Order: sequence, then structure tokens, then C-alpha cells
Amino acid sequence: MNNIYRPIEATLEDVITESPNIKTFVLSLKEPFEFRTGQFIELTLPGIGEAPFTPSSDPNIKDKIDVTIMSVGKVTSILHNSHKGISLGVRGPYGKGYPLDKFEGKDILIVGGGVGLAPLRSLLFSLFAQIDKYNKVVLRYGARTGGDIIYKDAIAQWGKKKKVDVVTTVDVGDPQWKGNVGLVTTILKDLPVDLKKAVAIVCGPPIMMKFVTLKLLDLGFKPPDIYLSMEKNMSCGLGKCGHCRLGSYYACKDGPVFTYEQVKDLHDIWD
Amino acid sequence: MPDCYFIDSDRFNALFQQLKKDYKVFSPAQKEASGEKPQYYYEKILTSQPFVFNAYRTQEPLKAFFTYPYEEVSDYFSAQDNIKDIDEKTMIFGVKNCDIVGHKIQDFVFLEGVAVDSLYRLRRENTLLVSGDCTDYKEVCHCLSWNIMPYAKEGFDLNLAPIGGGYLIDVGSKKGEEAVQKYKGYFSDAKESQLNARQAKRDALVERLKKHLLPQDLVPLESVQKVVKDGYNADTWKQFMQTCVECGGCNLICDTCHCFLLAEKKEGNLNKKVRLWDSCLYANYARVAGGANPLKARAQRLRNRFMKKFDFFVDNLKMPACCGCGRCIEVCPGKIDIREVLKDLAVKTSAKNE
Repeated sequence: MNNIYRPIEATLEDVITESPNIKTFVLSLKEPFEFRTGQFIELTLPGIGEAPFTPSSDPNIKDKIDVTIMSVGKVTSILHNSHKGISLGVRGPYGKGYPLDKFEGKDILIVGGGVGLAPLRSLLFSLFAQIDKYNKVVLRYGARTGGDIIYKDAIAQWGKKKKVDVVTTVDVGDPQWKGNVGLVTTILKDLPVDLKKAVAIVCGPPIMMKFVTLKLLDLGFKPPDIYLSMEKNMSCGLGKCGHCRLGSYYACKDGPVFTYEQVKDLHDIWD
Repeated sequence: MPDCYFIDSDRFNALFQQLKKDYKVFSPAQKEASGEKPQYYYEKILTSQPFVFNAYRTQEPLKAFFTYPYEEVSDYFSAQDNIKDIDEKTMIFGVKNCDIVGHKIQDFVFLEGVAVDSLYRLRRENTLLVSGDCTDYKEVCHCLSWNIMPYAKEGFDLNLAPIGGGYLIDVGSKKGEEAVQKYKGYFSDAKESQLNARQAKRDALVERLKKHLLPQDLVPLESVQKVVKDGYNADTWKQFMQTCVECGGCNLICDTCHCFLLAEKKEGNLNKKVRLWDSCLYANYARVAGGANPLKARAQRLRNRFMKKFDFFVDNLKMPACCGCGRCIEVCPGKIDIREVLKDLAVKTSAKNE
């Protein structure tokens, strides 16, 4: 009997500190597990709780997945205090993920905010793996402060890649920070993209996605070309438990990535 | 037209005794309620209990036989999944057409979509639904306003219609047919006069129910989606929510409401997932990690209940998630009446008469 609520076992192989409140958890799975970039998993901390996360690793790596998690609630704070070797549960993958085929031949603008860069890192790995298929990748990333930027070394490497353009910013500057200061919308000027063949992919806190979306529309992006990660409290991941309703969609099975076209007429999407 | 048989009262009582030996039988028992019509509650029927034909729906929703308010649905990190449901043939009497129609929502949620809930499927496969024509109604009954009749034409395994001296039994499924074949000595073919008698009784009840509902001027099926959509920003939600105590009763007792939460349970070395019925009237229903809550205001949560019922399900299943059983009206300590909420929205948006 195939039980849809039963997680498979994963061993916590490594914990990487990314920022004061964000860590990457490297999981090695005891049963075969594959996901498409943008799909999410339900991660169980046995006896404590379960929460949805989108893997931040390359989907082409089959035996391990990375999940980058900010400590914000009960499950995540206990996870942050967990050590290598413990068993965690994984259900999924759930949702539709990013439609990579629709990005082919396009200028791909990726806008991340804070820990929202985690699912985007998985997307970037997928794009880099077949970079010939895409025209260019333009990453714009904002964090609260310099210390809150995640994947610092990787971001520096990405910027050196061919067909890849990277700019970062922080909301609040400090003496150690030598880069841009200002909200992520301030680095969406003079984008090196051709609007006739561009798509934009946005992931971050709802308030950031709202203002980035408004800015993108202002720049001339069309609603069907803006891809958003909608944050909802998915519990089952399967369109059954009811929690993540978004208009007549469920974020878990119809998303969590939606085009702005799909959600623009719904009420209260940024709440 | 499904196959139809007749069984007289004595034979039916004998058959009922036999069924109790062959199945786990649930059938309503009648309890007198002071100053009101009697109420019907489900009981696992003991050997000596006689059959009670309930005139209208039971207090409990049909869904309670297929998902439970609190139950273990999986264990994990064990060599095999030890969660097994009792594989027992079950027969449920006392089901009404509102329950049958409402249960389509449960079937849609747990049997269709991206994955099948195997526990639910097993219970569904093991269960025969025996519906019965309504012979009376409660004040809160309003099936007709959703074009749902007080008798079932489909969706049951067997349907009982009381007529003079016994019951007509309709067969609505392969399972129902098998059961009839198994006990075929009890039945005779229905006569046309009996079918006519049944139709007369059905028509008479529909007329009585129409008389009961017509003065209520309820929002009809055709316009209900527009009413809730147009009423999104109406003050109705806030106004009706004033008396809500957030008990969740309206959701928990609803034939169609299906929301649940998955939670953890540890028993020694065993890790288990438990499933609990949830209610969108609870303050934390939509809360995400970190504390953000898109349904923070009480009025938003009442609105969510209506948008789910009359917008989401109309879009996704071409039917509202309300079968007019009125259980939510009866159960509500704050006297929030689903009919009145919709009427108030209709008046305020005046979409009803467009």
C-alpha cells in the first residue's frame, strides 16, 4: 500500500552556516529521490514537526539534496541546533517547479531576496548545466546586510561565468560592506536584458516580491513572463489538506511557482 | 433507471439481523430532543437493536466514517508501514442525499488529484452506503436551494424508500448489486404501483420542502459564486463574525469540509504521522513560519470558508461545497447561519437579481 504521508529517511550529512540565521542542510537519502528545480519537499524533524522547503541543490545530483533554511519557527530553530548524523524525513517532491523549456532562448532575469536565493540556486545550477540553451542569465540579489548574504563564494564565482551577469545589494550598509546599498528594486535599473525575449523569476519575502513585480511591470515585463514563488503554509503537499489555497489554486500542486498572469487578479496575494 | 426491488417490513427486519452478522453495521438511533423534532445519531448497531429509518439526515457527517478527527496515518523509519486499517466489510445505513452529494467533495479530495489517499480508498472500497429517501425535513434543511433532491438517484450502493408495508430498494452500484444477489431470497421485483407510490411520496415531500424554503428567498445555485465574489469586500463578513467563538464546529461537522493538518507523534522508537481535522476559522489556520498570517483577521477567515465553498469548488468541481444539510447552522453557538450570510451578501451586492 503506497502511503502518501510516509516520509523516506534521510541522514543529515553536513550543516553549512551561510549567515547568522541561515544554514544549508545536506541530506543523503536512503531511497531513490529525484526532483525538478523549483519543486519542494516536506521535511520532517521526527517528533517535532514538518515544514515545506524547496531544495537549493542541483537536481542533477541524485543521491543528495541541499536545503537552505532560515531559523524562523519551531521546526527550523530546532533544526538549526541539530547535528550531523541525525535522521530526517523527506516527502515529495511536490508542485510543478520551474518550466525550464519556456526559458529556452531567453534572457533570464533572476531576482532574489534574502533566503529566497535558495530555490534560485537550484535553478541557477539547472540553467548552468545547459547554458547553451539560454541566451543569458542576469542575477540581481538583495539581502538585509552584508552579513545576511548567503552563498557568498558561489555568487562571486557565478559572476565570472560566461553569459552570466550578477549584481548584489544590501538594504543597510555597514563599514565592512563595499558594494551597493539600497533595496533590490534599486538594482533593477539598466538591466542588460532584451525585453522582447526576457523572462523574470522572483523569489523572496512577499513584500519584496510585490515591489519587484511592480517594478518589472513598470520596466515593461509582461505578466505571463514574471514567475513568482508564492509562500503559503503547505501541509500535505498534495492538494488535499486545504491550507495553501490561492484563489482557485493550491500553491502546493498548482505552484508554488506561478506566473503573475495566473495570480494577478486574485485578492491579497502578497499577504 | 437502476434495478429496483421490494422487501416487506418483516423480511427487512430479518435481513437487518442477518446483515449485522455479515457486516459491521452502522445505523442511526433516534433520540428525542425537547421541543424539537427527534435527532438521529450513528451507533454501531448491536445484535438486539431494531432498525430505525431516519426521516432526515443524522447529526454526524458521513465523512466521519472515512477520515477521523484524529488518527495515525503513517509510521516511518520503520522497515514497513505498520499503519493498517481494519479490513472489515462495513454497511452504513441512514445516509441521505445531502450526504451523498457532499461526499463527492471528499471523494474528489482523497481519491483524485495528484495522489490517492490509500487509507481512504480502502475504507471506501470496504463500505456500502445505504441511503434512504427523506420523509421529513429539519428547519435548517435547504438541499433544494442547491438543486439537490431529498432522495438519492445516484452515488449510493443501495437506496431505501419506505412505502406501504416495506421498502423499495434501488441498486446503485456493482457492490450494491452483489449485496442484493447475496440476499436475493429476501426481495421481490418492484411493482409499478409501488414505484408510483414512491414517486407520490417523493413529490409530496418536495412540495412541503419547497413551501418551507420559498419564503426564505435563498440565494440560488446559479448565482452563488457571483454573490461571494462580488461580496468579497462587503461588511457581511465582519458583521456575521461578531458572534463567532472560533470553535470550528461549522467546519468539523460539515459533510464537505476536508481540511486537515499533519502532525508528529512519537511512541517509544516509533515515529508516526497523525492527521487531524482542521478548521479555517481557527486563528492559526493559514499561519506560516515566522508568524505571517494571510487570514489574521476573523472576518477573513469567515470569508475564506465561503470562498472555498462557493468559488474554489465551483471552479474546480463545478459544484459548491455545500449540500444544504444545515449541520453548520445547528452546531453554531454564535447562531451564524450560512443561508443568512449568503442572503446578506446578495442584498449588499445586489448581484442576485442581475
